[in-house]
Amino acid sequence: MAEEFEPKIVAFLCKWCSSAGSDLAGVSRMEYPPNVVPITVMCSGSISPLYILSAFNKGADGVLVSGCHPGDCHYIKGNLYARRRIALVKELLEFIGFEPKRFQMSWVSAAEGSKYTQIIKDFVSQLKPLGPQTELRRNL
Amino acid sequence: MVNLEELKENAKELLKQEKVKYIIGYKRGTNGLMPVPAFIKKPEDVENLIWDPLCIYNLTRFLVDEKRKKAKQKNPDERPVGLIVKGCDSRAVNVLLQEKFINREDIYIIGISCENTGVVDEKKLVKKLKGKKVKKIEFGKKNGFIVSTEDGQVEVPSSEILAERCQECIAHFPVVYDVLLGEKPKRKPDNPFKSLEKMESLSREERWTFWKEQLDKCIRCYACRSTCPMCYCDECVVDTINFAVTADTTAEEKAQKIKWVEKSPVLSENFVYHFIRAIHLAGRCIDCGECERVCPLDIPLRFLNKKLEKEAKELFGYDVGFDPDRPSLVSCFKEEDPEDFIR
Ligand code: SF4
Ligand code: SF4
Ligand code: FES
Repeated sequence: MAEEFEPKIVAFLCKWCSSAGSDLAGVSRMEYPPNVVPITVMCSGSISPLYILSAFNKGADGVLVSGCHPGDCHYIKGNLYARRRIALVKELLEFIGFEPKRFQMSWVSAAEGSKYTQIIKDFVSQLKPLGPQTELRRNL
Repeated sequence: MVNLEELKENAKELLKQEKVKYIIGYKRGTNGLMPVPAFIKKPEDVENLIWDPLCIYNLTRFLVDEKRKKAKQKNPDERPVGLIVKGCDSRAVNVLLQEKFINREDIYIIGISCENTGVVDEKKLVKKLKGKKVKKIEFGKKNGFIVSTEDGQVEVPSSEILAERCQECIAHFPVVYDVLLGEKPKRKPDNPFKSLEKMESLSREERWTFWKEQLDKCIRCYACRSTCPMCYCDECVVDTINFAVTADTTAEEKAQKIKWVEKSPVLSENFVYHFIRAIHLAGRCIDCGECERVCPLDIPLRFLNKKLEKEAKELFGYDVGFDPDRPSLVSCFKEEDPEDFIR
Protein backbone atom coordinates (compact mmCIF):
# COMPACT_ATOMS: atom_id res chain seq x y z
CA MET A 1 0.00 0.00 0.00
CA ALA A 2 1.25 3.46 -0.84
CA GLU A 3 2.34 5.48 2.13
CA GLU A 4 0.06 8.27 3.22
CA PHE A 5 1.10 11.73 2.05
CA GLU A 6 2.71 13.74 4.81
CA PRO A 7 2.52 17.46 4.13
CA LYS A 8 5.45 19.63 5.00
CA ILE A 9 4.52 22.83 6.81
CA VAL A 10 6.82 25.80 7.21
CA ALA A 11 5.79 27.78 10.26
CA PHE A 12 7.08 31.30 10.84
CA LEU A 13 6.68 31.86 14.56
CA CYS A 14 7.47 35.00 16.43
CA LYS A 15 9.97 34.46 19.20
CA TRP A 16 8.02 36.01 22.03
CA CYS A 17 4.62 34.35 21.76
CA SER A 18 4.04 31.76 19.10
CA SER A 19 7.45 30.16 19.31
CA ALA A 20 7.15 30.11 23.10
CA GLY A 21 3.68 28.62 22.65
CA SER A 22 5.10 25.83 20.54
CA ASP A 23 7.79 25.27 23.17
CA LEU A 24 5.16 24.99 25.82
CA ALA A 25 3.40 22.36 23.74
CA GLY A 26 6.73 20.51 23.58
CA VAL A 27 7.70 20.67 27.24
CA SER A 28 4.15 19.78 28.28
CA ARG A 29 4.46 16.68 26.07
CA MET A 30 1.38 17.54 24.10
CA GLU A 31 1.23 15.40 21.00
CA TYR A 32 0.95 16.87 17.55
CA PRO A 33 1.97 15.80 14.05
CA PRO A 34 5.69 16.12 13.24
CA ASN A 35 5.05 17.85 9.92
CA VAL A 36 6.24 21.30 10.92
CA VAL A 37 9.52 23.01 10.19
CA PRO A 38 9.42 25.92 12.63
CA ILE A 39 11.33 29.07 11.80
CA THR A 40 11.58 31.51 14.65
CA VAL A 41 11.55 35.18 13.72
CA MET A 42 11.72 38.16 16.04
CA CYS A 43 8.19 39.34 15.37
CA SER A 44 5.35 38.57 12.99
CA GLY A 45 5.90 42.09 11.72
CA SER A 46 9.29 41.05 10.40
CA ILE A 47 7.86 38.42 8.08
CA SER A 48 8.28 39.55 4.52
CA PRO A 49 5.82 38.30 1.92
CA LEU A 50 8.93 37.01 0.22
CA TYR A 51 9.48 34.51 3.06
CA ILE A 52 6.08 33.03 2.40
CA LEU A 53 6.56 32.86 -1.35
CA SER A 54 10.01 31.47 -0.92
CA ALA A 55 8.75 28.70 1.34
CA PHE A 56 6.25 27.64 -1.30
CA ASN A 57 8.92 28.02 -3.96
CA LYS A 58 11.16 25.65 -2.05
CA GLY A 59 8.47 23.07 -1.72
CA ALA A 60 6.37 23.77 1.38
CA ASP A 61 2.92 22.19 1.17
CA GLY A 62 1.55 24.70 3.66
CA VAL A 63 2.77 27.88 5.32
CA LEU A 64 1.77 29.12 8.74
CA VAL A 65 2.46 32.61 10.01
CA SER A 66 1.91 33.11 13.71
CA GLY A 67 2.38 35.98 16.11
CA CYS A 68 1.24 37.39 19.42
CA HIS A 69 -2.38 38.41 19.90
CA PRO A 70 -3.13 42.06 19.10
CA GLY A 71 -2.02 44.11 22.09
CA ASP A 72 0.58 41.54 23.15
CA CYS A 73 3.31 42.06 20.57
CA HIS A 74 6.70 42.45 22.20
CA TYR A 75 7.31 45.36 19.85
CA ILE A 76 3.87 46.78 20.63
CA LYS A 77 2.41 46.85 17.12
CA GLY A 78 4.46 44.62 14.84
CA ASN A 79 1.61 42.15 14.57
CA LEU A 80 -0.80 44.88 13.50
CA TYR A 81 1.44 45.78 10.59
CA ALA A 82 1.71 42.07 9.82
CA ARG A 83 -2.06 41.69 9.85
CA ARG A 84 -2.39 44.27 7.10
CA ARG A 85 0.48 43.04 4.99
CA ILE A 86 -0.46 39.38 5.23
CA ALA A 87 -4.07 40.16 4.32
CA LEU A 88 -2.76 41.52 1.01
CA VAL A 89 -0.60 38.44 0.46
CA LYS A 90 -3.59 36.23 1.09
CA GLU A 91 -5.79 38.15 -1.34
CA LEU A 92 -3.18 38.08 -4.06
CA LEU A 93 -2.54 34.35 -3.63
CA GLU A 94 -6.22 33.71 -4.05
CA PHE A 95 -6.44 36.04 -7.01
CA ILE A 96 -3.83 34.11 -8.97
CA GLY A 97 -5.78 30.97 -8.14
CA PHE A 98 -3.51 29.43 -5.55
CA GLU A 99 -5.23 27.03 -3.13
CA PRO A 100 -6.08 29.24 -0.12
CA LYS A 101 -6.11 26.27 2.26
CA ARG A 102 -2.35 26.08 1.98
CA PHE A 103 -1.85 29.30 3.85
CA GLN A 104 -2.79 30.06 7.41
CA MET A 105 -2.23 32.84 9.89
CA SER A 106 -2.83 32.65 13.62
CA TRP A 107 -2.33 34.39 16.93
CA VAL A 108 -0.79 32.07 19.50
CA SER A 109 0.35 33.32 22.90
CA ALA A 110 3.12 31.81 25.00
CA ALA A 111 0.45 30.17 27.16
CA GLU A 112 -1.47 28.63 24.27
CA GLY A 113 0.42 25.39 23.76
CA SER A 114 -2.81 23.55 23.21
CA LYS A 115 -4.10 26.08 20.70
CA TYR A 116 -0.85 25.65 18.79
CA THR A 117 -1.16 21.85 18.68
CA GLN A 118 -4.76 22.15 17.54
CA ILE A 119 -3.81 24.53 14.74
CA ILE A 120 -1.12 22.16 13.51
CA LYS A 121 -3.43 19.14 13.74
CA ASP A 122 -6.13 20.90 11.76
CA PHE A 123 -3.69 22.29 9.23
CA VAL A 124 -2.21 18.85 8.59
CA SER A 125 -5.60 17.27 8.08
CA GLN A 126 -6.57 20.13 5.81
CA LEU A 127 -3.43 19.69 3.70
CA LYS A 128 -3.45 15.91 3.42
CA PRO A 129 -6.26 15.59 0.89
CA LEU A 130 -4.66 18.32 -1.25
CA GLY A 131 -1.54 16.29 -1.92
CA PRO A 132 1.84 17.84 -2.62
CA GLN A 133 2.03 21.50 -3.55
CA THR A 134 3.45 21.72 -7.06
CA GLU A 135 2.07 25.02 -8.28
CA LEU A 136 4.70 27.32 -6.87
CA ARG A 137 7.44 24.78 -6.31
CA ARG A 138 10.76 25.53 -7.95
CA ASN A 139 10.96 23.75 -11.24
CA LEU A 140 14.17 24.57 -13.06
CA MET B 1 -10.09 72.63 -23.23
CA VAL B 2 -6.37 72.44 -22.70
CA ASN B 3 -4.67 75.02 -24.84
CA LEU B 4 -1.35 73.89 -26.27
CA GLU B 5 -0.24 77.47 -26.82
CA GLU B 6 -0.81 78.18 -23.16
CA LEU B 7 1.34 75.17 -22.30
CA LYS B 8 4.14 76.40 -24.54
CA GLU B 9 3.84 79.92 -23.16
CA ASN B 10 4.15 78.64 -19.60
CA ALA B 11 7.11 76.47 -20.48
CA LYS B 12 8.81 79.30 -22.33
CA GLU B 13 8.49 81.68 -19.38
CA LEU B 14 9.90 79.10 -16.99
CA LEU B 15 12.94 78.56 -19.16
CA LYS B 16 13.42 82.24 -19.93
CA GLN B 17 13.36 83.18 -16.30
CA GLU B 18 15.66 80.23 -15.62
CA LYS B 19 13.30 78.96 -12.97
CA VAL B 20 13.76 75.34 -14.02
CA LYS B 21 16.69 73.25 -15.20
CA TYR B 22 14.73 71.74 -18.03
CA ILE B 23 11.23 70.60 -18.79
CA ILE B 24 10.16 67.02 -19.35
CA GLY B 25 7.22 66.78 -21.72
CA TYR B 26 6.11 65.17 -24.96
CA LYS B 27 7.15 65.80 -28.53
CA ARG B 28 6.37 64.12 -31.82
CA GLY B 29 8.60 61.13 -32.55
CA THR B 30 10.43 60.56 -35.79
CA ASN B 31 8.67 57.29 -36.34
CA GLY B 32 5.02 57.91 -36.98
CA LEU B 33 2.46 59.45 -34.74
CA MET B 34 3.53 58.23 -31.32
CA PRO B 35 4.99 60.94 -29.12
CA VAL B 36 8.33 60.52 -27.41
CA PRO B 37 9.57 62.11 -24.20
CA ALA B 38 11.08 65.56 -24.71
CA PHE B 39 13.71 67.23 -22.56
CA ILE B 40 13.41 70.91 -23.28
CA LYS B 41 16.31 73.07 -22.18
CA LYS B 42 16.06 76.17 -24.38
CA PRO B 43 13.08 78.55 -24.56
CA GLU B 44 12.99 78.32 -28.36
CA ASP B 45 12.59 74.54 -28.19
CA VAL B 46 9.23 74.73 -26.45
CA GLU B 47 7.76 74.77 -29.95
CA ASN B 48 8.40 71.04 -30.02
CA LEU B 49 6.03 70.39 -27.13
CA ILE B 50 2.80 68.62 -27.98
CA TRP B 51 -0.29 67.51 -26.10
CA ASP B 52 -2.68 65.02 -27.62
CA PRO B 53 -4.51 61.80 -26.67
CA LEU B 54 -1.43 59.73 -27.47
CA CYS B 55 0.63 61.29 -24.67
CA ILE B 56 0.31 58.04 -22.81
CA TYR B 57 3.65 57.80 -21.06
CA ASN B 58 4.13 58.51 -17.40
CA LEU B 59 7.10 60.86 -17.39
CA THR B 60 7.45 60.68 -13.62
CA ARG B 61 9.92 57.83 -14.07
CA PHE B 62 12.47 60.39 -15.23
CA LEU B 63 12.51 61.91 -11.75
CA VAL B 64 14.11 58.71 -10.54
CA ASP B 65 16.83 58.98 -13.17
CA GLU B 66 17.24 62.69 -12.43
CA LYS B 67 17.76 62.01 -8.75
CA ARG B 68 20.41 59.39 -9.49
CA LYS B 69 22.20 61.67 -11.93
CA LYS B 70 22.15 64.57 -9.51
CA ALA B 71 23.58 62.45 -6.72
CA LYS B 72 26.68 61.86 -8.84
CA GLN B 73 27.26 65.49 -9.79
CA LYS B 74 29.79 67.54 -7.85
CA ASN B 75 28.08 70.90 -8.21
CA PRO B 76 24.56 70.02 -9.19
CA ASP B 77 22.19 72.59 -10.59
CA GLU B 78 19.78 73.03 -7.68
CA ARG B 79 16.89 74.41 -9.69
CA PRO B 80 13.78 72.26 -9.99
CA VAL B 81 12.96 70.11 -12.99
CA GLY B 82 9.78 71.01 -14.86
CA LEU B 83 7.52 68.02 -15.35
CA ILE B 84 4.35 67.68 -17.37
CA VAL B 85 1.83 65.39 -15.69
CA LYS B 86 -1.64 64.02 -16.26
CA GLY B 87 -3.90 63.02 -13.37
CA CYS B 88 -2.43 59.54 -12.92
CA ASP B 89 1.14 60.82 -13.30
CA SER B 90 0.53 63.45 -10.64
CA ARG B 91 -0.50 60.73 -8.23
CA ALA B 92 2.81 59.00 -8.96
CA VAL B 93 4.55 62.25 -7.99
CA ASN B 94 2.54 62.24 -4.77
CA VAL B 95 3.67 58.73 -3.92
CA LEU B 96 7.30 59.68 -4.50
CA LEU B 97 6.76 62.71 -2.24
CA GLN B 98 5.02 60.59 0.36
CA GLU B 99 7.97 58.20 0.42
CA LYS B 100 10.35 61.17 0.61
CA PHE B 101 12.11 59.92 -2.48
CA ILE B 102 11.89 63.38 -3.98
CA ASN B 103 11.43 66.85 -2.48
CA ARG B 104 8.63 69.09 -3.53
CA GLU B 105 11.01 71.99 -4.18
CA ASP B 106 12.96 69.92 -6.69
CA ILE B 107 10.10 69.76 -9.12
CA TYR B 108 7.92 72.27 -10.88
CA ILE B 109 4.73 70.50 -11.88
CA ILE B 110 2.84 71.50 -14.97
CA GLY B 111 -0.45 69.69 -14.60
CA ILE B 112 -2.65 68.89 -17.55
CA SER B 113 -6.21 67.77 -17.00
CA CYS B 114 -7.58 64.93 -19.08
CA GLU B 115 -10.95 66.65 -18.62
CA ASN B 116 -13.64 64.44 -20.08
CA THR B 117 -11.53 61.76 -21.67
CA GLY B 118 -8.05 60.45 -21.07
CA VAL B 119 -5.51 58.79 -23.29
CA VAL B 120 -6.10 56.44 -26.16
CA ASP B 121 -5.33 52.75 -26.15
CA GLU B 122 -3.00 52.28 -29.14
CA LYS B 123 -4.23 48.77 -29.78
CA LYS B 124 -7.89 49.71 -29.70
CA LEU B 125 -7.16 52.59 -32.06
CA VAL B 126 -5.41 50.40 -34.62
CA LYS B 127 -8.28 47.94 -34.50
CA LYS B 128 -10.91 50.62 -34.81
CA LEU B 129 -9.30 52.15 -37.89
CA LYS B 130 -8.68 48.77 -39.50
CA GLY B 131 -5.18 49.60 -40.61
CA LYS B 132 -5.89 53.09 -41.86
CA LYS B 133 -3.08 55.44 -41.01
CA VAL B 134 -3.80 58.09 -38.42
CA LYS B 135 -2.56 61.52 -39.34
CA LYS B 136 -3.68 63.33 -36.28
CA ILE B 137 -5.71 62.71 -33.18
CA GLU B 138 -7.29 65.38 -31.03
CA PHE B 139 -9.54 65.69 -28.03
CA GLY B 140 -13.16 66.22 -29.07
CA LYS B 141 -15.40 68.95 -27.70
CA LYS B 142 -17.52 66.68 -25.51
CA ASN B 143 -16.07 63.33 -24.62
CA GLY B 144 -14.68 61.74 -27.72
CA PHE B 145 -11.70 62.00 -30.00
CA ILE B 146 -11.32 63.48 -33.43
CA VAL B 147 -9.22 61.21 -35.59
CA SER B 148 -7.90 62.34 -38.96
CA THR B 149 -6.90 59.76 -41.54
CA GLU B 150 -6.28 60.04 -45.27
CA ASP B 151 -10.07 59.64 -45.71
CA GLY B 152 -10.81 62.69 -43.62
CA GLN B 153 -11.96 63.26 -40.05
CA VAL B 154 -14.03 60.97 -37.91
CA GLU B 155 -15.33 61.48 -34.42
CA VAL B 156 -14.80 58.41 -32.24
CA PRO B 157 -16.63 58.15 -28.92
CA SER B 158 -14.25 57.67 -26.02
CA SER B 159 -15.91 54.41 -25.00
CA GLU B 160 -14.40 52.82 -28.12
CA ILE B 161 -10.74 53.73 -27.92
CA LEU B 162 -10.12 55.16 -24.46
CA ALA B 163 -7.57 53.20 -22.43
CA GLU B 164 -9.20 50.89 -19.90
CA ARG B 165 -7.41 52.54 -17.00
CA CYS B 166 -8.77 55.93 -18.05
CA GLN B 167 -12.26 54.48 -18.02
CA GLU B 168 -11.63 53.50 -14.41
CA CYS B 169 -9.77 56.66 -13.41
CA ILE B 170 -11.06 58.29 -10.24
CA ALA B 171 -9.53 61.75 -10.84
CA HIS B 172 -8.98 62.95 -14.40
CA PHE B 173 -6.96 65.92 -13.32
CA PRO B 174 -3.66 66.46 -11.53
CA VAL B 175 -3.94 66.39 -7.75
CA VAL B 176 -0.64 68.18 -7.22
CA TYR B 177 0.69 70.94 -9.49
CA ASP B 178 2.23 74.38 -9.68
CA VAL B 179 0.24 75.37 -12.71
CA LEU B 180 -2.85 73.65 -14.05
CA LEU B 181 -4.09 73.61 -17.64
CA GLY B 182 -7.69 72.63 -18.31
CA GLU B 183 -10.70 72.12 -16.08
CA LYS B 184 -11.19 69.75 -13.18
CA PRO B 185 -14.13 67.67 -14.29
CA LYS B 186 -16.51 66.23 -11.73
CA ARG B 187 -16.90 62.79 -13.12
CA LYS B 188 -16.61 59.48 -11.36
CA PRO B 189 -16.43 56.07 -13.00
CA ASP B 190 -19.38 53.77 -12.28
CA ASN B 191 -17.00 51.15 -11.06
CA PRO B 192 -13.29 51.88 -10.74
CA PHE B 193 -12.55 48.16 -10.60
CA LYS B 194 -14.73 47.04 -13.47
CA SER B 195 -11.94 45.30 -15.37
CA LEU B 196 -11.42 42.94 -12.43
CA GLU B 197 -14.98 41.69 -12.44
CA LYS B 198 -14.48 39.12 -15.14
CA MET B 199 -11.39 37.67 -13.54
CA GLU B 200 -12.98 37.58 -10.11
CA SER B 201 -15.99 35.73 -11.44
CA LEU B 202 -13.81 32.87 -12.68
CA SER B 203 -13.34 29.81 -10.53
CA ARG B 204 -10.10 29.38 -8.64
CA GLU B 205 -8.90 26.74 -11.10
CA GLU B 206 -9.65 28.98 -14.05
CA ARG B 207 -7.76 31.82 -12.48
CA TRP B 208 -4.80 29.56 -11.88
CA THR B 209 -4.83 28.36 -15.48
CA PHE B 210 -5.00 31.94 -16.67
CA TRP B 211 -2.06 33.20 -14.64
CA LYS B 212 -0.02 30.12 -15.27
CA GLU B 213 -0.32 30.68 -18.98
CA GLN B 214 0.36 34.40 -18.72
CA LEU B 215 3.33 34.28 -16.39
CA ASP B 216 4.86 31.38 -18.23
CA LYS B 217 5.37 33.76 -21.14
CA CYS B 218 7.50 36.21 -19.16
CA ILE B 219 11.09 36.36 -20.38
CA ARG B 220 12.18 38.48 -17.40
CA CYS B 221 13.41 41.37 -19.47
CA TYR B 222 12.36 43.55 -16.52
CA ALA B 223 11.00 46.25 -18.79
CA CYS B 224 8.00 46.44 -16.45
CA ARG B 225 10.33 47.23 -13.59
CA SER B 226 12.44 49.72 -15.55
CA THR B 227 9.48 51.80 -16.59
CA CYS B 228 7.70 51.95 -13.26
CA PRO B 229 8.22 55.18 -11.33
CA MET B 230 7.77 53.27 -8.07
CA CYS B 231 10.39 50.62 -8.86
CA TYR B 232 13.23 52.81 -7.72
CA CYS B 233 14.97 50.49 -5.26
CA ASP B 234 18.73 50.56 -5.75
CA GLU B 235 18.77 46.84 -5.33
CA CYS B 236 15.96 44.48 -6.18
CA VAL B 237 15.50 41.13 -4.47
CA VAL B 238 15.21 39.38 -7.78
CA ASP B 239 18.71 40.33 -8.91
CA THR B 240 21.42 38.00 -7.83
CA ILE B 241 24.18 39.11 -10.16
CA ASN B 242 25.33 41.67 -7.63
CA PHE B 243 26.18 38.85 -5.27
CA ALA B 244 29.91 39.09 -5.86
CA VAL B 245 31.96 37.23 -3.30
CA THR B 246 35.53 38.38 -2.87
CA ALA B 247 38.18 37.61 -0.30
CA ASP B 248 36.87 40.64 1.61
CA THR B 249 33.25 39.55 1.75
CA THR B 250 32.43 39.01 5.38
CA ALA B 251 30.31 36.20 6.69
CA GLU B 252 27.66 38.75 7.67
CA GLU B 253 27.48 40.09 4.14
CA LYS B 254 27.11 36.60 2.74
CA ALA B 255 24.40 35.85 5.25
CA GLN B 256 22.51 38.93 4.13
CA LYS B 257 22.73 38.03 0.46
CA ILE B 258 20.17 35.36 0.05
CA LYS B 259 19.38 34.23 -3.45
CA TRP B 260 15.63 34.51 -3.25
CA VAL B 261 14.77 33.83 -6.82
CA GLU B 262 16.54 32.28 -9.77
CA LYS B 263 17.12 34.34 -12.90
CA SER B 264 15.82 31.62 -15.18
CA PRO B 265 12.53 32.63 -16.76
CA VAL B 266 10.66 29.53 -15.68
CA LEU B 267 7.17 29.57 -14.24
CA SER B 268 8.05 29.04 -10.59
CA GLU B 269 10.60 31.86 -10.55
CA ASN B 270 8.40 34.14 -12.63
CA PHE B 271 5.70 33.69 -10.03
CA VAL B 272 8.00 34.84 -7.27
CA TYR B 273 9.06 37.86 -9.31
CA HIS B 274 5.57 38.94 -10.24
CA PHE B 275 4.15 38.27 -6.82
CA ILE B 276 6.80 40.36 -5.14
CA ARG B 277 6.51 43.07 -7.77
CA ALA B 278 2.78 43.30 -7.18
CA ILE B 279 3.06 43.23 -3.39
CA HIS B 280 5.75 45.85 -3.35
CA LEU B 281 3.51 48.08 -5.42
CA ALA B 282 0.49 47.65 -3.17
CA GLY B 283 -0.67 51.09 -2.11
CA ARG B 284 1.92 52.62 -4.44
CA CYS B 285 0.83 51.75 -7.95
CA ILE B 286 -1.26 54.57 -9.39
CA ASP B 287 -2.34 52.61 -12.45
CA CYS B 288 -0.49 54.52 -15.12
CA GLY B 289 -0.44 51.29 -17.09
CA GLU B 290 3.16 51.68 -18.20
CA CYS B 291 4.24 48.21 -17.08
CA GLU B 292 1.60 46.53 -19.17
CA ARG B 293 2.25 48.80 -22.14
CA VAL B 294 5.96 48.02 -22.29
CA CYS B 295 5.65 44.27 -21.79
CA PRO B 296 6.79 42.64 -25.04
CA LEU B 297 4.64 39.62 -24.30
CA ASP B 298 1.43 41.44 -23.50
CA ILE B 299 1.10 40.04 -20.01
CA PRO B 300 -1.87 41.77 -18.33
CA LEU B 301 0.21 43.02 -15.42
CA ARG B 302 -2.27 45.72 -14.64
CA PHE B 303 -4.70 43.22 -13.14
CA LEU B 304 -2.29 42.23 -10.39
CA ASN B 305 -1.76 45.82 -9.37
CA LYS B 306 -5.39 46.71 -9.75
CA LYS B 307 -6.42 43.84 -7.53
CA LEU B 308 -4.26 45.15 -4.71
CA GLU B 309 -5.49 48.69 -5.30
CA LYS B 310 -8.98 47.33 -4.84
CA GLU B 311 -8.12 45.46 -1.65
CA ALA B 312 -6.37 48.53 -0.27
CA LYS B 313 -9.55 50.46 -0.84
CA GLU B 314 -12.02 47.86 0.34
CA LEU B 315 -10.15 46.41 3.30
CA PHE B 316 -8.37 49.51 4.53
CA GLY B 317 -10.14 52.50 2.95
CA TYR B 318 -6.88 53.53 1.32
CA ASP B 319 -6.67 55.67 -1.83
CA VAL B 320 -3.34 55.80 -3.58
CA GLY B 321 -1.55 59.02 -4.43
CA PHE B 322 -3.91 61.65 -3.10
CA ASP B 323 -2.23 62.71 0.09
CA PRO B 324 1.56 62.81 0.40
CA ASP B 325 1.28 63.58 4.10
CA ARG B 326 -0.40 60.40 5.22
CA PRO B 327 1.52 57.23 5.96
CA SER B 328 1.71 54.69 3.17
CA LEU B 329 -0.56 51.66 3.05
CA VAL B 330 1.67 49.12 4.78
CA SER B 331 3.43 51.48 7.14
CA CYS B 332 0.27 52.07 9.11
CA PHE B 333 -2.71 50.12 10.45
CA LYS B 334 -6.04 50.65 12.10
CA GLU B 335 -7.27 48.87 15.21
CA GLU B 336 -10.27 47.71 13.25
CA ASP B 337 -8.35 46.23 10.30
CA PRO B 338 -10.01 42.96 9.29
CA GLU B 339 -8.67 39.81 10.89
CA ASP B 340 -11.36 37.27 10.21
CA PHE B 341 -8.81 35.26 8.21
CA ILE B 342 -6.63 34.85 11.29
CA ARG B 343 -7.19 31.98 13.63
S1 SF4 C 1 7.96 43.36 -19.22
FE1 SF4 C 1 6.80 41.46 -19.52
S2 SF4 C 1 8.32 39.92 -20.20
FE2 SF4 C 1 9.47 41.68 -19.36
S3 SF4 C 1 9.81 41.07 -17.21
FE3 SF4 C 1 7.92 42.33 -17.24
S4 SF4 C 1 6.27 40.82 -17.45
FE4 SF4 C 1 8.17 39.76 -17.98
S1 SF4 D 1 3.06 49.10 -11.49
FE1 SF4 D 1 2.67 49.66 -13.63
S2 SF4 D 1 0.77 50.87 -13.53
FE2 SF4 D 1 1.58 50.79 -11.45
S3 SF4 D 1 2.83 52.64 -11.20
FE3 SF4 D 1 4.22 50.98 -11.90
S4 SF4 D 1 4.29 51.15 -14.16
FE4 SF4 D 1 2.49 52.35 -13.43
S1 FES E 1 6.67 39.85 18.98
FE1 FES E 1 5.11 38.40 18.61
S2 FES E 1 4.07 39.42 17.02
FE2 FES E 1 5.52 40.94 17.49
